[in-house]
Amino acid sequence: MIILADVMFVVLILITILGALTTVLSGSLIYALMGLIATMFGIAGLYIYLNAPFIAMMQILIYVGAISILIAFAIMLAGPMFKRPKEWSRPIKFISGAITACVTFILFLNVIMRTEWTTIKAEPIKTTTKELGRALFDRFMLPFELISLLIVVSIIGAIMIALYSRKER
Amino acid sequence: MCTLDNIIQIIGKEVARLILGLIGVLVVVVVNALVLTWVERKVSGHMQRRIGPKEVGPYGLIQPFADGLKLLAKELLTPANVDKPLYYLAPVIVFIPVLVSFIVIPFDGFLQVKDINVGILVILAFSSLSVLSILIAGWGSNNKYSLIGATRSVAQNIAYEIPLLLTLLPVVFMANSLSLRDIVEAQREGWFVWRWQFFAFLIYFIAATAETNRTPFDLPEAESELVAGFHTEFSGMRFALFFLAEYTNIFIASAIATTFFLGGYLGPVLPGVVWFFIKTYFLVFVIMWFRWTFPRVRFDQLLNFSWKILIPVAFANLIVTGGILKL
Repeated sequence: MIILADVMFVVLILITILGALTTVLSGSLIYALMGLIATMFGIAGLYIYLNAPFIAMMQILIYVGAISILIAFAIMLAGPMFKRPKEWSRPIKFISGAITACVTFILFLNVIMRTEWTTIKAEPIKTTTKELGRALFDRFMLPFELISLLIVVSIIGAIMIALYSRKER
Repeated sequence: MCTLDNIIQIIGKEVARLILGLIGVLVVVVVNALVLTWVERKVSGHMQRRIGPKEVGPYGLIQPFADGLKLLAKELLTPANVDKPLYYLAPVIVFIPVLVSFIVIPFDGFLQVKDINVGILVILAFSSLSVLSILIAGWGSNNKYSLIGATRSVAQNIAYEIPLLLTLLPVVFMANSLSLRDIVEAQREGWFVWRWQFFAFLIYFIAATAETNRTPFDLPEAESELVAGFHTEFSGMRFALFFLAEYTNIFIASAIATTFFLGGYLGPVLPGVVWFFIKTYFLVFVIMWFRWTFPRVRFDQLLNFSWKILIPVAFANLIVTGGILKL
């Protein structure tokens, strides 16, 4: 059974990475979105692999079900055969992007190499939704409320933008 | 049957259950679609004072098989200007949520492929993929009617997913579990429709009708304005897959309503499976009844109805339920 689990892990990683590459490199918006959705599914699979099915389902529900669909709705307004124009991808942009990516990668690699990884033989802890709820409303009460405040502010902001642009017309 | 026992021993009990479950699910999907196409025609016919199909077999019972054979035998046409990968992918993706949803639906106390402790979340999470497939189909077809249908479908699904979630939450509060079997077992003292959740049931049913793109909310495929909406360019077996998925989605929406509000497989005398199917198919019949009762809504009415009526009422219901449970 261990071999099957390993194969699944590699498959999930491949889905995530290939999806991410499609998102970044594809010239067509809709293909980029498909890549993004594949990445989200790969990450959800990794959560299941980590014995956290609730988080995995939330990942799919929110990122695939809500956010990707909203992005799709925005893309719909761009026209079906929209391709990225040539002048958007100039070599300077490519080089600066590559440098940023390399620096970030080296920083992450540094952190990863410095951390002492202790492997534990025990089964991963199974977090239940009950414990998650307790943690959210007990230990992490303040960040949770701050996030909801942030969302309220952004909603009000969106409404204000919509109102003003309507008045200007 | 020692060979069967041997096979089960070799591949393990869990895997055997999954394989059997998958076969069962496929059989249910196909049989359900065959039955529903016949029922839909008969119900439509009688509601319009016609008889419906009656030539092929007694009461036209063989008609769905004839239709299926015709669709199978048809040539698969691919229009020249479609976006090929997306066009091929769409009818396949539409089937993922359909199959996944069936895994967690409890047809009976033990007749369930797998009881997952976040069961309802699995259905809700994967049901968003059906919007995605409609989107891909509409986009990949490279046809204005398809694209308009797909855009409408996305807007409609964003609007109606919220009341759908908000009406299922109070039931989860009351049952104290996300597992579908626990929710059914929590209704031993009485169905949740009669225990304060009547409005939740109404809102759920309206939202589910909209999510499955049925009349009065069938704007994504409105025949009179969009030819066939997102599946205009699909023919033969590809069209049949969309059709199968649509009927299975109606079944799943009714099955969730049965599980959450109508006591699922609970009922006297008859076995649980029979009760489950009676309740579910009654709700399916009600959805078909809607089709010949209400005219199609206008698009602004559709969105206003969800955002200005269904969502506030669902929120109020959620808060009141939470308050009552805490008192």
